[in-house]
Amino acid sequence: MNQPHNESSVSHRGSMTLRPCTLVWLALVGLTLAMLVVGKMGLSGGNVVALLLVATLIKTQLVADIFMGLRQSRLLWRMIVTVYLVGVIGLIGLAWWLGNV
Amino acid sequence: MQQTTALTAGKEDYPPGDFVIWIVIYAELLAFGIFFLSYAFARSQNVELFNASQLELNRTAGAINTLVLITSSYFVVRSIAAIRENLQKQAARWMWAAIGLGSIFIVIKLFEFYTKYDEGITLSSNTFYMFYLSMTFFHFMHVILGLVILTIMATKIRHGDYTAQEHDGMETGANYWHMVDLVWIILFPLVYVIR
Amino acid sequence: MQYQSQMAAKPYFIAAILLFVGQIVFGLIMGLQYVIGDFLFPEIPFNVARMVHTNLLIVWLLFGFMGATYYLVPEEAETELHSTKLAYILFWIFLGAGVVTVLGYLLVPYATLARITGNEILPTMGREFLEQPTIIKIGLVLVILGFLYNTTITILKGRKTVVSWVLLLGLWGLAIFFLFAFYNPHNLVLDKYYWWWVVHLWVEGVWELIMGAILAFVLIKLTGVDREVVEKWLYVIIAMTLLTGIIGTGHHYYWIGTPEYWQWWGSIFSALEPIPFFMMVIFAFNMANKRRRQHPNKAAMLWAIGTPVMAFLGAGVWGFLHTLAPVNFYTHGSQITAAHGHMAFYGAYVMIVLAIISYAMPMLRGRAAANSDKSQVIEMWSFWLMTVSMVFITLFLTGAGILQIWLQRIGENPQSFMVVQEKISLFYWMREVAGVIFLIGLVLYVISFFIGGEERTAPAKA
Ligand code: HEM
Ligand code: HEM
Ligand SMILES: [Fe+2]
Repeated sequence: MNQPHNESSVSHRGSMTLRPCTLVWLALVGLTLAMLVVGKMGLSGGNVVALLLVATLIKTQLVADIFMGLRQSRLLWRMIVTVYLVGVIGLIGLAWWLGNV
Repeated sequence: MQQTTALTAGKEDYPPGDFVIWIVIYAELLAFGIFFLSYAFARSQNVELFNASQLELNRTAGAINTLVLITSSYFVVRSIAAIRENLQKQAARWMWAAIGLGSIFIVIKLFEFYTKYDEGITLSSNTFYMFYLSMTFFHFMHVILGLVILTIMATKIRHGDYTAQEHDGMETGANYWHMVDLVWIILFPLVYVIR
Repeated sequence: MQYQSQMAAKPYFIAAILLFVGQIVFGLIMGLQYVIGDFLFPEIPFNVARMVHTNLLIVWLLFGFMGATYYLVPEEAETELHSTKLAYILFWIFLGAGVVTVLGYLLVPYATLARITGNEILPTMGREFLEQPTIIKIGLVLVILGFLYNTTITILKGRKTVVSWVLLLGLWGLAIFFLFAFYNPHNLVLDKYYWWWVVHLWVEGVWELIMGAILAFVLIKLTGVDREVVEKWLYVIIAMTLLTGIIGTGHHYYWIGTPEYWQWWGSIFSALEPIPFFMMVIFAFNMANKRRRQHPNKAAMLWAIGTPVMAFLGAGVWGFLHTLAPVNFYTHGSQITAAHGHMAFYGAYVMIVLAIISYAMPMLRGRAAANSDKSQVIEMWSFWLMTVSMVFITLFLTGAGILQIWLQRIGENPQSFMVVQEKISLFYWMREVAGVIFLIGLVLYVISFFIGGEERTAPAKA
């Protein structure tokens, strides 16, 4: 179970390339800041919400795949989380649509 | 578990960590998921109220806390990466840094709770606040538990209990923490931003 | 059997089964009173029969849990019981108190019973399941404390296993939550509030731990699977049970005058309560699949696998059915509740006690490992008769409940309670028939222990 992960840092150490987990962290930070801006501006509307939800889906899937290491495991385990995320986030979208349209 | 097909060839049977933690993670995700959907559909019945109350939240605090948790999660990943190279000292440092950030989350969250308490907001104020307080408090308790787990791990690293060959326990605890992070990543836009 | 002091379990098991028979007889009496209103009037009024039925249930389950503990703890701790004598003394005190209480219910009007036992000094009587006179409750606390002292000391001085810790945690929880039975505030809302802290936190909290521990013990013995696997499962099951069960108490707070958020909290957390029950199903089947030996006691295996399945159905599925506030708004206190109460109690707690009795009794009666094949066949018949008739009792009550709710609460012209009861009496007749079959199954269970024949011996390797 403890085989080194793909992101194993051995090959990266000392080089200029960023580790995959660092890239993910940067992406997460960027998306969060974008959300904050949207929130501060009080933006609303179908397109904005759709973008927010897609961003949320990307963020959570990245955490699951890279941080939690699901990318390395059998498809079943990964799919449970993906189905969950798509389901929950999709239904959040549906609920928003029901309330706002 | 034997029928590993071409599709999954080269993959590990289970995700990292003890498989039991995955049962826990899925169950926890289910719990939070039900909360999220209850919120979303309750909101659809009462959009004005939710939109109005949402404006009273401190979005900046919410966003900072998101950054804090994300970064804390990232530090835990780095801690494990260090263990994989048998760099116990570094691993411990990353882990304590993750714990430090987790504690910052707690402080910010307490500040938010205090502000609401000060404004006289309770679970019975309205449906939005019922959800806001319930969900964030439920999550808050998970952060506290997660911090306890991280602290145990940090001390174990110091004692040299984890090595490049044997750090299953660490991946188990780490994944619990990532779950706490993942849930907040959904909670933040849902409660603070989407309107 | 490896330790002499495990014999202390035997009287507890015997008493449990005898009281169980009593419980069912009173169930049948009530079942008949449902359709023939003046049956046994005025000798045994319905409310008295109900009290006897439910109190006997609780008391015999406690006997079963205690017997299970006395059997399990020495073997887990790998040492003799701290004091076998104490176990026997407490047995007689407990049995005496139980019999006196039931006789009190049957022979003296309840109000008189309350008066002569000095209820006004510390009023605790009159609440469902907790009707016992205050002095009896105090006696019960002393018995349980003695029992906990005895078993805790044993575990502390011997080998400490996860199974015995979980069992102990459940038993201490049982004792501690029972203390809420002594708090009886005047305010009716608070009264109900604390009442549920006993009743709900027992069956959907600490008793589940007891069930998990006993189930794990029996399965380890029957399958020979590694402890390590079992322990992990136990940890998750406890965690999920407590996480969902404690706040899940809220599903009883919907309509008693508590703040509205309980409708959300109760719904959400109790909707998750089936998870630990489901985990127990997976756990049991996992163990059965991984088994390392073919234990000769097939009947015990049947009980051990049947328990989580029926518990999941009764508690998980039938509980979920009416646990969401918008549903419970209609179903509250209807026959749906009774349907769920019967199957959940049977599946989780009756069956787990029968499972350990089934496993332990042959050895307590001096047999090597299991009863004879002939005896086991009868016992398996009893399993199916009781279990299937309980399924039917549940289904009939569910049918009665749906009609009741429709006619009385939802339909165009809501009708009065008694009018509706008349209309659904066919379901009550069928419930009574199923109840008779249940009793036959129970009698067969008892008979099976007296059937001789060539006994099966040591576990054969698979
Ligand atoms: C082995 C476990 C369980 C047992 C023995 C049990 C037993 C009972 C009993 C006897 C009652 C009736 C109490 C009374 O009003 O006198 C009851 C009520 C109830 N139970 Fe359970 N139960 C169990 C688990 C569950 C679970 C897991 C759920 C939810 C998923 C649940 C949901 C409910 C609800 C909602 C009520 C209230 C019904 C009403 O409003 O009338 N139960 N239970
Ligand atoms: C192991 C078997 C049984 C168990 C665990 C059991 C358990 C219970 C419980 C927990 C209650 C209280 C329910 C509530 O408050 O909603 C109850 C009530 C009752 N039981 Fe049983 N019971 C069993 C067998 C039977 C049988 C065989 C019958 C009759 C055929 C029966 C008839 C009744 C009746 C009529 C009530 C009263 C319901 C009411 O108040 O309207 N029970 N039983
Ligand atoms: Fe309950």
